[in-house]
Amino acid sequence: MFQNQVPLLPGESIQTTVKDVMYICPFSGLVNGTLTITDYKLYFTSVEKESFILDVNLGVISRLETISVANQGQNTKGLELVCKDMRSPRFAYKTEESHPDVVNVLTKHAFPLSHNLSLFAYLYKEQFPVDGWKVYDPMAEYRRQGLPNESWTISKINSTYELCDTYPSILVIPTNITDEDIKRVAVFRAKHRIPVLSWIHPESQATIVRCSQPLVGPSDRRCKEDERFLQIIMDANAQSHKLTIFDARQSSVADTNKAKDGGYESESFYSNVELNFLEIPNIHVMRESLRKMKDVVYPTIDEAHWHSNIDQTHWLEYIRLLLAGAAKIADKLESGKTSVVVHCSDGWDRTAQLSSLAMLMLDSYYRTLRGFQVLVEKEWISFGHRFAARVGHGDENHANSERSPLFVQFMDCVWQMTRQFPAAFEFNELFLITVLDHLYSCLFGTFLYNSEKERAAKDVQTSSVSLWSYINR
Amino acid sequence: MEFSEHIKTANVEDVVLRQPLHPPSRGTLCITGHHLLFSVREEVSSRQVLLLLRNIDAIEKRVNAPICISCLITLFLKSFLTSVENLFAYSGLISNAGRNESRISGSSGTITIKCKDLRVLQLDIPGMEQCLNIARSIETLSCLDCVSEMYPFFYRPSDISLQDQWGLSTPEKHYTQMKELQDRWRLSTVNKDYTVCPSYPPAVIVPMDVDDDVLKKVAKFRQGGRFPVLCYYHRKNGMVIMRSSQPLTGANRKRCKEDELLLQAVIDTSDKGYIIDTRSSQQAQQARITGGGFESKSCYNRWKRLHRHMERGKALQESLIKVVEACGDNSHNMDRWLSKLENSKWLSHVQTALSTAGLLAECVERDGHSVLVHGSEGIDSTLLISTLAQLIMDPSCRTLEGFLVLLEREWVQAGHPFQQRCAHSAHSHARLQQESPVFLLLLDCVWQVWRQFPLALGFSEALLLKLATEAYASDYGTFLCNSDQERCALGVKEKTHCLFQAVLRPLEREHYSNPLYEPTELAIWPSVHPQSLQLWRGFFLRWTQQTRHLEEAQEEIRNMVTEWGKMALS
Repeated sequence: MFQNQVPLLPGESIQTTVKDVMYICPFSGLVNGTLTITDYKLYFTSVEKESFILDVNLGVISRLETISVANQGQNTKGLELVCKDMRSPRFAYKTEESHPDVVNVLTKHAFPLSHNLSLFAYLYKEQFPVDGWKVYDPMAEYRRQGLPNESWTISKINSTYELCDTYPSILVIPTNITDEDIKRVAVFRAKHRIPVLSWIHPESQATIVRCSQPLVGPSDRRCKEDERFLQIIMDANAQSHKLTIFDARQSSVADTNKAKDGGYESESFYSNVELNFLEIPNIHVMRESLRKMKDVVYPTIDEAHWHSNIDQTHWLEYIRLLLAGAAKIADKLESGKTSVVVHCSDGWDRTAQLSSLAMLMLDSYYRTLRGFQVLVEKEWISFGHRFAARVGHGDENHANSERSPLFVQFMDCVWQMTRQFPAAFEFNELFLITVLDHLYSCLFGTFLYNSEKERAAKDVQTSSVSLWSYINR
Repeated sequence: MEFSEHIKTANVEDVVLRQPLHPPSRGTLCITGHHLLFSVREEVSSRQVLLLLRNIDAIEKRVNAPICISCLITLFLKSFLTSVENLFAYSGLISNAGRNESRISGSSGTITIKCKDLRVLQLDIPGMEQCLNIARSIETLSCLDCVSEMYPFFYRPSDISLQDQWGLSTPEKHYTQMKELQDRWRLSTVNKDYTVCPSYPPAVIVPMDVDDDVLKKVAKFRQGGRFPVLCYYHRKNGMVIMRSSQPLTGANRKRCKEDELLLQAVIDTSDKGYIIDTRSSQQAQQARITGGGFESKSCYNRWKRLHRHMERGKALQESLIKVVEACGDNSHNMDRWLSKLENSKWLSHVQTALSTAGLLAECVERDGHSVLVHGSEGIDSTLLISTLAQLIMDPSCRTLEGFLVLLEREWVQAGHPFQQRCAHSAHSHARLQQESPVFLLLLDCVWQVWRQFPLALGFSEALLLKLATEAYASDYGTFLCNSDQERCALGVKEKTHCLFQAVLRPLEREHYSNPLYEPTELAIWPSVHPQSLQLWRGFFLRWTQQTRHLEEAQEEIRNMVTEWGKMALS
């Protein structure tokens, strides 16, 4: 009878139902009820209070931990679901011989990839009137920006992902450069992520160009083609005879990278180039900052030290660094009419944060509901932000050091902007939170995998639903 | 007194005004008895900045003089000998030197003006002599003590008349309107010549069974004569909020039969009442040494005392200074901002005020008991929480007019000493005397409620900002003096205009109304978790870029509501 009460999505199936489960609510104490586990979610309903429902999608679970529960009798186990979204619900339940263990069922479906199961996005069969996969059409987006033009061309050089396997198939590069030169530049840039255009200013023609770090190395290697490439980018903008490179990293870290075959552009080899470090710490620092933040806000708040505790997470300090960095980039284009090149080490984390935030500041289209979807699809998804690695979709290995809340941080920056400019954005806070919920849920294919190439290989567009189909329905 | 004797230089040409968010502008500076006027005359437009001198909290002078070596040596020696410590003394020396030797003609001075409404302006004035004259005029005229020389006595706008009613209500009117309370409560005029309690209005509401002779005796037993009076009647259950000052029990636990009788009459047939003392119980104990005290259980056995420590006086003023300092910090060091905010303790004062007011409202609305509120003098935190509790419980206090009537009753008539409390604000270098931003704290608390219940209050943030400015420096007489008695003695009600009336003029009214207002009969219980309380950006960051976008958004909301109203009509 309880099974009938659990609302199921098309394609969702119940795996197990456990009665006499206690939800240990951090606010109101113990709640007695029934726990249903499907292949998508965990659904708890109270037997006492009719209205109490806890609905947690399994994708949000980072790890499962057994906890000790005192005074609940023998055969009682405690379970904590440590989540990726600032909560950690706890349960207590009785173990029975005849029943499969809750932990086993949960583990299997919360981490399907670790158990040779497929992500729920491939099982989800909802039909929506609109096709979210059509939201982002790179050709249309570049046409909107006024491209191609005499200086910039839309290139198919990466159509089979041979040049760079983490870049999209369609790239915008300078007109005056040969494929041979591009291939040499690719060799000189980490992960072959060559400088490509992200956005062009409709009036000044100043551009935001993104790439990865140059492989300068300890011996100060040079690459004539790379130097010429940046020169051409500079020349494409007639308004300015300078080019500014924003290296997102801390300068000390960039120096360390140089010793490890990475590095940064030397101002003496690249003429008229100005290099700025934005001093933003790496993904590990951000992960630790959010972990501290969760400790501050969940489950209880130390009211006497609320502000100083928040202060000590440094989360807002990093938000400020990112926004300030993006504002510098935007200002260079808008006021300085100068093109900028943005990179960090690999050009898929801080680079994506900075380029997308600067674009949000410069171009009101991205502040519409539809435009924001395009921005995320373009700067994050198509340009190979490693969502699978950073979020850890369906993967049991919660301690993986590749995980980091870079996209969450970006969304926080967007929220800060909406708060400061309440009338400038078409979307609201609920939209931002919904996007973040489905960053983890694995209900939609939108954020799955690390690159366009992987998504194509896994048939994401034909086998799963886009988040934007749901949002724009 | 003639103002002109304080004005050596009335006009200076070629002055450069620098203020945040504006490019520097060049124009004429003019000092009058009450104002600083800066006007820019450009080919197309003319702009003016008109500032009440009263609004100026502090000024700093700096001279940019090409001084000759001999002067420098004299200066150095003089400053060495007198061991001066700050800019003021320094520039004083320079002015002497300047007068002796006219070699300093190419010099100029800079005056930084810090206002009580937190605005900061900078004036570059050519000619050191002129600069110093201007500075001296500002210093003197901005803190004149004589109330009858203040600007409200000179302000004569064309669209309001001195014959108009001053103020919105009176104790008499308040009493007549509250039909429900009239069978148990009466209006007493025992204080009609202000002899029983100098800080009370001439008429107050007291229990029916307590006659004026009893009141006179009770007044002697309460500090400053502030005997318990009714300030709020809760229609839903007939319970009331009373307020007073502390009882003067002293070290030997003096009693006053009449005081006990009065409080007994408040409870009447109900089983008990609460006393909310805005001091910690330790502070209340200590107060006995200096003649004050509290209502002991043995003498007031049907009253239950609750102590809530609320910061007052100097501590509150210092907290304001710190929060303003933190807001003015331009070092862009995110690292320390929140800690600075926390260390200022301003938000924790907001929290204490709101939670104590919540406690008071809970006693009345949920528990169904009457409450007496007092601290020591009964003119600061007592008024703060009785006002907030009324805002929480009583829908009629949440309209624009109702809120102003509440402020008039609980602050102006009830004798909050505005003149002492608001003499200086956060920037002043003057030695603190009676200054304390209690009223500002009230406005901040009301803003927090406004933010948490965007539809429940009939007035806009603009009203709160207006009040925060006017309490410190105003064209109107409303916040002059420390009590009704003083206002009457100076003829404030006859010779000045009333701010509350001005705010309610048709054109003004719209600006100060909340377009989203939807009245609710329910009590509105503010959340007092620290994560629910925010810095009042509109006030503390008023002169920064950020606030401008918030104002734009408010304007947009107003337009949308107007448009929507038109559509609904057609």
